[in-house]
Amino acid sequence: MMDNPKSDGQLKKKTAGLPAFLRNQTFFLLIVIVLLSIVFGSINPRFLTWRNLLAVFQQITVLGIATMAMALLLISGGIDLSIGSMIGLSSVVICTLIMRGSNVGLAIFIGFGIPVFCGFINGVIVSKSKCVPLIVTLGMNYVYYGLALVISQGLFLSMKGNFQFLGRGRVFGVPMPMIIVIVMVFATHFLLTYTKYGRRLVAMGGNEQLAYLSGINVDRLKIMNYTLSGAIIGLASLVLVSRLGNVLANAGEGYELRTLAAAIIGGVTFEGGRGTIAGTFLGVILLGIVQNGLNILNVSSYFQTLAVGIIIVVAVVVSNLEKIRNR
Amino acid sequence: MTIYRSEDHFIVQAHHISKTFPGVKALSDVSFILREGEIHCIVGENGAGKSTFIKILTGSLRPDSGELVIHGKSYKSLTPYLSQSLGIQVIYQENILVPQMTVAENVFVGRERLNHFGLIDYKETIRLTQTIIDSLKINLDPETPVEKLSPSGQQFVKIVKSLAYEPRILIMDEPTAMFNVKDVEMVLNLVKDISRRGISVIYISHRLEEISEIADRITVFKDGQVVATHENPGKDFDLSVLIREMVGRSVEAFYKKDRNTIGEVVFEVKNLRLHHHSPEINFTLKKGEILGIAGLVGSGRTEMIRALFGMDPKISGEVWYRGKRITIHSPQDSIQAGIGLITEDRHKTGLALNLSVIKNTTIAGLDQYPGPILNLTTEKTDVEQFIQELDIKTPSPYQEVRFLSGGNQQKVVLARWLFKDVDILIFDEPTIGIDVNSKNEIYKLMTELAQKGKSIIMISSELPELIALSDRVIVVKNGRIITELDDDEITEENIISYAFGVTDDGQSEE
Repeated sequence: MMDNPKSDGQLKKKTAGLPAFLRNQTFFLLIVIVLLSIVFGSINPRFLTWRNLLAVFQQITVLGIATMAMALLLISGGIDLSIGSMIGLSSVVICTLIMRGSNVGLAIFIGFGIPVFCGFINGVIVSKSKCVPLIVTLGMNYVYYGLALVISQGLFLSMKGNFQFLGRGRVFGVPMPMIIVIVMVFATHFLLTYTKYGRRLVAMGGNEQLAYLSGINVDRLKIMNYTLSGAIIGLASLVLVSRLGNVLANAGEGYELRTLAAAIIGGVTFEGGRGTIAGTFLGVILLGIVQNGLNILNVSSYFQTLAVGIIIVVAVVVSNLEKIRNR
Repeated sequence: MTIYRSEDHFIVQAHHISKTFPGVKALSDVSFILREGEIHCIVGENGAGKSTFIKILTGSLRPDSGELVIHGKSYKSLTPYLSQSLGIQVIYQENILVPQMTVAENVFVGRERLNHFGLIDYKETIRLTQTIIDSLKINLDPETPVEKLSPSGQQFVKIVKSLAYEPRILIMDEPTAMFNVKDVEMVLNLVKDISRRGISVIYISHRLEEISEIADRITVFKDGQVVATHENPGKDFDLSVLIREMVGRSVEAFYKKDRNTIGEVVFEVKNLRLHHHSPEINFTLKKGEILGIAGLVGSGRTEMIRALFGMDPKISGEVWYRGKRITIHSPQDSIQAGIGLITEDRHKTGLALNLSVIKNTTIAGLDQYPGPILNLTTEKTDVEQFIQELDIKTPSPYQEVRFLSGGNQQKVVLARWLFKDVDILIFDEPTIGIDVNSKNEIYKLMTELAQKGKSIIMISSELPELIALSDRVIVVKNGRIITELDDDEITEENIISYAFGVTDDGQSEE
């Protein structure tokens, strides 16, 4: 930019600091995950066994799938805090239908359709009312949870042993949920990076006014994206009920915040337009490793909550370091 | 640089200040002196180091080396708090006012006047604000909420606010950028008045004419260095000297456009009404033509374009394009019809700053590619072609546009519409906040586009720009097209007299 041969040497020295690959949050996250694994493994060798790592992966599948929905929303400048209730409502409806003797296939179909519809409703309200999605979906969270409570009457509902394949089945020895989460990660990455739809989402998240003035129908795009996220949540919900076999209305409790945490840890921002699916998935893995590692080390679940909180704050601060450093 | 007899009247002395950002040497060995009660203008292209220097004075940036002597005391660096307590105040271009609060509340925000119950003393707040307003001889009601004021009214509030701090040093960053011609004169008088009170003013502006009018001294920044300081320039100062120093070579005082052949009418607006009581708007646009739209800020120029482009609803009116009537209800409609809009505010509405040059370029024209899936390699090749054609200076097509200079950012916006291959381009203030060199490049590109048969509508507050580029100029006042000027009629005097309503063109008010 500025040709000033005299100052060149000085310039290089000043910009040295951190090498570029270290400033990349995704890479940084990968290093943290490896280091944490080494620490957990050296304290308790059982952590680094193949069996345990597989268990970690199993544990994060529902979170992993649901986080793809949250990432899509955040990157497009939205958010959905009702996804936990959507999972609960969908699970409750599936079990209720099955317990009343409905066809299992039909129950699954309806159970999947409910989050899709919820997402659509969220999208319509967010785009047409021009209200802050955080507040709208916070309210909808109560609406869906309330519906789930009304339907379930607060009781434990059971799948009666039906539909175990998605949550417990294996294909060539690989657990189904793992296959689903991996497929979803690649599919979401593909969607965001290689499709016009994904590009428009990113642009809308980056600057909604710009997207509008570039001829993008932002209302329709938002509704589509909330609906699509609802479908992803529907899938997460199916995996969850299939694995658990019986559910309460609060089956999805906490998913809205844990998906948010995973995405933020992965480098997705609240402002939209930023973040990658690779980073997001590493965020999910980090959460899974911390939970499993602390379990293995016999740390109480109370401390685990504390640890997750600290990780989120550290992640946000780290991702903001660049701004501070530029002062 | 001149050696002065005494250092008594030196309020600020900056010695050998340097500052480096990753990849950029922003300031290199800058020395600068501010005398008591002088108006010291700083000029330079964008990226010349003016803003960085100001940020060092306000304490929001720390210099890597050098020394600041302020009121005779030496500092390695300042903090925002220290800077304020040394009496340094800045009036920024951006809005720093709270829109819902009144003028008086804004003036004393953060330093509220309290009564002896420790509650805000509104009477005193209003009284003190009124005193400052009176001393400036401007017309402003301290009890009006700021959001109800015009943009220039808000600028005055900023000036009042900064004076409430009783500064010794007032830094004004492009204070007239938001003003129309009449108010600019007022602002300039204010600045002179302020300096007469013994306050030293550092005045940054791209408008060289106003600088020659008020400056006691002019310092020229280029590539992070001070290249020259002119003493007592006066009204007759040769501005081309400044331009030469800023760009390092002599640029033609203003861009001269090659006239090109203008074709048939391609676009026609008939009886457009924005509101029930607003006047009807009619105009035509020809192939290969640059149509200038002149008018004061607030004359309704921008509103006209917003409605045309489909951003705002309209009451009635027809738009004809190549002999066919088209309906426009949204930007989507106008883009599909082949119209592109380059907005006035690049950062707010023109670019997604965090996204790459590629993503910013292709966003409006993704449908140029078939199917739902993008071929990123093809896309990159396409964008690289525009980078080369428009000479966009970026290290890579993947660079986030926030790292580009204003001129290059504007070229990215332009590339977007060229990629979309629209036939009609609407520019709202095409060169706002762009340095002299890039301005000329943008003018050249606009001219080339017209030669290639594109039609251009250009709203501009910069008369030289309008006059140099336009084949025809329509002047807007109070939402009405007052007149249309052709060829020789396009002069500064004509435009100004119509825009101010001195010449009425025989039309009577409704």
